Amino acid sequence: MAEYTKPIPSPDPVSQPFWDGAKEGKLMLPRCSDCNRVHWYPRVICPFCHSMNIDWVEATGKGTIHTFAVQNNRGLVARGWGDEVPYVTAYIDLAEGDRMLTVLKGVDPNDPDSIEIGAAVQIEFEEASEDVHIPFWRPV
Amino acid sequence: MPGEASKAAAIIGAAEANDIGYPATPKSSLTLHIEAINNVCKMTGIPIAAIDGIFSAGWSPQIAEYLGLHPKYIDTTAVGGCSFEMHVHHALAAIHAGVINVALVTHGEMGFSQRFTGGKGTGRPFGGGDPWDPGTQHTSAYGLGGAPTGYSHAMNRHMSRYGTTQEDFAEIAVVTREWATLNPRAVMYRKAGEGDLPPLEQGEWGGGKRGHTFGGPITVDTVMNSRPISWPIKLLDVCLVTDHGGAVLITGPEIAKTSKTPPVWIAGAGESISHWNMLEMPDFTETSAGRSASAAYRMAGMGPEDMEMAMIYDSFTVTAGITAEMLGLAPAGEGPALWKDRHAAPGGRLPINTNGGGLSFNHSGMYGMQLLVEAYRQLSGTAEDGGFSGDPGKQTSARSCIVNGTGGTLSTTGTLVLVSDD
Repeated sequence: MAEYTKPIPSPDPVSQPFWDGAKEGKLMLPRCSDCNRVHWYPRVICPFCHSMNIDWVEATGKGTIHTFAVQNNRGLVARGWGDEVPYVTAYIDLAEGDRMLTVLKGVDPNDPDSIEIGAAVQIEFEEASEDVHIPFWRPV
Repeated sequence: MPGEASKAAAIIGAAEANDIGYPATPKSSLTLHIEAINNVCKMTGIPIAAIDGIFSAGWSPQIAEYLGLHPKYIDTTAVGGCSFEMHVHHALAAIHAGVINVALVTHGEMGFSQRFTGGKGTGRPFGGGDPWDPGTQHTSAYGLGGAPTGYSHAMNRHMSRYGTTQEDFAEIAVVTREWATLNPRAVMYRKAGEGDLPPLEQGEWGGGKRGHTFGGPITVDTVMNSRPISWPIKLLDVCLVTDHGGAVLITGPEIAKTSKTPPVWIAGAGESISHWNMLEMPDFTETSAGRSASAAYRMAGMGPEDMEMAMIYDSFTVTAGITAEMLGLAPAGEGPALWKDRHAAPGGRLPINTNGGGLSFNHSGMYGMQLLVEAYRQLSGTAEDGGFSGDPGKQTSARSCIVNGTGGTLSTTGTLVLVSDD
């Protein structure tokens, strides 16, 4: 595997089930056992009803584009991403609720009008290291 | 009916550091603080030794030590550029409660000069993102960095939801530049070498009294043709990065009477937050300014229709456009029209960002102090006569002003309703 040169997240005890799922190509999301709502990012307490009974569910990996932007300026983006400009970042509304940040794959950053807010997207995972597989999204 | 704390205190003076914008030689952020503090105390006649409460974005212990002060109230609220509007809110409460008599709100930031010092002298009040911090952990992989890389997502969502265009937002930059051409302290006052300004020497940065290579009036086309930064944000949708120091003094009515400069009353104040990391932003077309403004209007017993001018944080054109809607100055989706229809322009019914804004006057990284200084200059009637610094600016006839700071990534807001002395 070629060396992954972009930032690699550091899993913590709270988020570990998400990263474990990612290694198997599954989108695992935290869900409150009391109000049944899914939240993102992972927490030890439900941000909606403040219950501390959180479990994890496997999600569909489906979502829609909430909004996006094209990163044109290499000086403003993090180490490793400079060589990728222009690239498209987006916030994804998850089918199960709440929202994730991502980089969109399979879109043309030079033609932002061809990318549609509301368009359906599907998750995929890229192996950045043995322990961390990073979620990205791609239009269906 | 106004709330109990309304007008319990006033801003009795506001001043800046000796050199703002692009100084010829770097000064530390601490020195920028101290120059402004010295200037505001000279202008009001209130001695530095009388200060018994210090409010700053992380600097209060250093400021107290450096000045040999032992304040009774130490506030270091640092939640981005709106911190200073929150400091005024907190100072109002502390004075109303009888805890302190003379509050100092102070700012110093070498946003421009730090590039020549390798970061030395900045003080760095903010820490980096901890890798385990959830916001950092679940966003760092995607490379978002400088502020424009986040704000662009809000601008695109606004355009998608309301049918606003990049040209609509460009109008904000154009009108704001027009204000800057009336303010000789503004970095973008005019192009270097034009009028009475000498051309810049090789490698000189200019700004303010020296002009700027890109200064002077601009058009919508200028904005549209400026280079893309984070589509749909282009270079001229983005604020400056400059040096600034500023300080205001806040007191109750008795001490205000002893000041050499007129009081500007804090009629209302409020603050709020919707998220810290943009990942958690509930609605990309709204900020918490809806709540902070509502609190400020309620305390003041006034509403948007009573505001005769506005100072609105314009880190980006989109920040100003959305915030105008949140403050009730324009219907949802129609914020940019205030500028496009020239209501916000010189001679308009609601002057906005009369100093030339963060877009064309000065923006050091945090811009909340610049908002306060300009609101004071306008409402105290000292903008045109040169105030303390001797630098004139455009004087409006406004007697009331809504001031709104925005911090983080459209995250935190502080709102003030300020009114002139009767």
